[in-house]
Amino acid sequence: MTDATSTHTTPPLKRALIYLLSHRAAGLFLFIVLLLGIVSVMNPAFLETQNIKDIAVQAAPVCIISCGLMLVLVSGEIDISVGSMMGLLAACMGAMVSESRGHLPPGMAIVLTLGIGVVIGLLNGWLVAYAGVPSIIVTLGMLTALRGVTEIVMGGSWITDLPDGIRFLGTGAFMGIPISLWTALTVILVSLWLVHRTAIGRRIYAIGSNPHAAYLAGLPIKPLKLFVFAWTGFLTGVATLVSVPQLSVVDSGIGVGLELLVVTCVVVGGTAVSGGLGNLSGVLCGVILMTMISTVLIFMKLGENATYWSRAIQGLFILGAIIADHWISRQRKS
Amino acid sequence: MEPLRAVHLSKSYGGTHALKDVSLDIRPGEVHALCGENGAGKSTLIKILSGVLLPNAGTVQWNETPLPLGRVHSVEAHGILAVHQEPVVFPHLNAVDNLFVGREPAALGGAWLDQSTMRKKARAILANLGEELPLTQPVGDMSLAQRQMVSIARALLHQCRILILDEPTASLSARESESLFEKVNTLKQQGVGILYVSHRLEEIFRLADRVTVLRDGTWVATSDIASLNQEALIQHMVGRDITQKPGSGTAPDESKNRPPILEIKNLSREGVFQKISFKIQPGEILGMSGLVGAGRSEIARGIFGIDPFDAGEIIYLGSPLSKGFTIQDTIQAGMAMVPEDRQQQGLVLPLSVETNLLLPSLREFQGPLGLKTKAMRSSGKALIEKLGIKTETPDHPAHSLSGGNQQKIVIGKWVHRLPKLFILDEPTRGVDVGAKHEVHRLIRELAAQGSAVLLISSELPEILSLSHRILVLCEGTIRGELKANEATQEQLLKLALPEEARRSA
Repeated sequence: MTDATSTHTTPPLKRALIYLLSHRAAGLFLFIVLLLGIVSVMNPAFLETQNIKDIAVQAAPVCIISCGLMLVLVSGEIDISVGSMMGLLAACMGAMVSESRGHLPPGMAIVLTLGIGVVIGLLNGWLVAYAGVPSIIVTLGMLTALRGVTEIVMGGSWITDLPDGIRFLGTGAFMGIPISLWTALTVILVSLWLVHRTAIGRRIYAIGSNPHAAYLAGLPIKPLKLFVFAWTGFLTGVATLVSVPQLSVVDSGIGVGLELLVVTCVVVGGTAVSGGLGNLSGVLCGVILMTMISTVLIFMKLGENATYWSRAIQGLFILGAIIADHWISRQRKS
Repeated sequence: MEPLRAVHLSKSYGGTHALKDVSLDIRPGEVHALCGENGAGKSTLIKILSGVLLPNAGTVQWNETPLPLGRVHSVEAHGILAVHQEPVVFPHLNAVDNLFVGREPAALGGAWLDQSTMRKKARAILANLGEELPLTQPVGDMSLAQRQMVSIARALLHQCRILILDEPTASLSARESESLFEKVNTLKQQGVGILYVSHRLEEIFRLADRVTVLRDGTWVATSDIASLNQEALIQHMVGRDITQKPGSGTAPDESKNRPPILEIKNLSREGVFQKISFKIQPGEILGMSGLVGAGRSEIARGIFGIDPFDAGEIIYLGSPLSKGFTIQDTIQAGMAMVPEDRQQQGLVLPLSVETNLLLPSLREFQGPLGLKTKAMRSSGKALIEKLGIKTETPDHPAHSLSGGNQQKIVIGKWVHRLPKLFILDEPTRGVDVGAKHEVHRLIRELAAQGSAVLLISSELPEILSLSHRILVLCEGTIRGELKANEATQEQLLKLALPEEARRSA
């Protein structure tokens, strides 16, 4: 059936819903504005600058990793190892700079942390692209293995003596805006360029959209997959550097559950789990919404139960997003 | 300019030869048809020529220099481009990105795409093809024909000197094929050499200058099309003589007193089909002809309980089907349907031949301790023999079989249940001549055993030779009913064309 007939018979309200769900950024944006309206009426303190800043700082590392994970999903793969990866990178970074352990200069520790992130990403990517192991299995294994390595690195103790040079990445600010936000902004701009203006970006979409066509078109599928995993590893390193030094203590539990939050943000933001589809504005809105939720719940004064709710709601959002995707593709077909 | 020469190409997988010592040349400005049954080595040859596969032996030469093989990019750079069988597009990307992905015009080694040039070039190429396509819409939302045009445009992006078209009309309607033929002729006049692969012999005789036939991976013959007729060509392809007698369809015993198996009364679905009424007798093959999009498949899906309908009645074996019946109901009642897209809808490709064949009848093999594997094996073997399926063992996965043998499974899996009504939607699409013949024989046998068959086919010779009666659909209504032994291809086509086209035709 043609589009013409389906739009003739669809009532305007349903059409609007289809539009908002398929233009995910617009739909989520509207939802965020609505949520902001409701919560600020219930508790005007929500809109105070400090609170907004807190939410933004919380969102920054999630946003940075989501930019990478979106490309992994677009290429038709998945990476659920980023939480454990952040845990390991935090432990490595802490151990390297700690005065009682490695005592390396901060600059060198930064480069090494990013390097380890890239290496883990390359390992993920190699296992997926060249060894042919499904990415869900590879990264599930990594999720457990990396957490184990983290505990070895930490050796059962905590690290509390981070030097100021590293501390600054987490707590410092430039022009009144925290370093982590500047970093997130930079990552977004680089990702926009990567997605919209480079050959690599288009090719990542192509291999996820139709792997067989990509093969026949002679696209370098394996190197591209290697790249998206390595890039995600790198960005996880970046996110670690700007978020972990905010904490007073580095322990072996950093990043637990982060992979689920990131996957939720990316999928809620309209990225298809099956590959080929996804855009940064949607993902950005997904990140803002998902990191907002827990604060919103606190400001709604639900009491101690708020954190329990936030997990449940996170789950509902991911289910809702997938159901919406499914519903839309059905509407398109008929 | 020199022709492109493939010299002594061979390719084998494991122990089996997909291609053995095949040579062929394509001259500039000629349409060179490539024929052969499925599994004859056509796709292997095409994949080697287009740089997707590396041959085990042999070279491809142009102007006495061998081309680099096994790399799509270097082959494309020489102006050799392939349009593969199924429209190979990236559904989520728009037309411009589809054309350019993998060979983007870009500054700084791909770090900055030149999008305005891409858009301009894309528009120019599509204009040259005489196509107006929306450039920003995801290609997945376009029609099959439009997607096909995108694939062809993708090939023409380069300075194209050799164009390989693999079954380009397989998913096109008659009208769309017509416009494709025009484009092929235009390109030919521009000096492009075209390697044209098709199962449809009419097309080959219409378009080709020369034809090369492959059989079982080896070269059989290359000759001018003028020196061949259809029978000779088919004989080259199958290596044996199978002449089809057209119009052999005679109605069963015409006994009016036997109650019909299926009776449809005023079946309608808004915007898809209107007031469809017909009957099918036991033992009768009722053909349904019409252009793609005339509503044939949709009617079949409605009868089988896949799609809903708005009004009308379906009377099956004398009693009307209750409102809101499902596929389970119709299967239970003894209907069987072979869908249009066998790989996606008719087969579980990784499962074995035997499992696929017995899948609809598993309940019958249910014992107290699970499935009765011995009984399944003997039934499976009997079916494989009866249907003439070529497989090494019943345990081989369905995807290891050729297209024709897969199609026999899709039909044959219902045979065990002895259905009263078969609905066959394009049962021989993409199936080679030899296997087609066997599928036809199978369909006739089913009818001879007393089943009623509703046959949907876009191939006029097929529908004429198999059916007893033919319904012609156009834009969702029945345009006419013909007796097969009195009908001609021209009559069918005339009825199938919509009013406006008919007036101008």
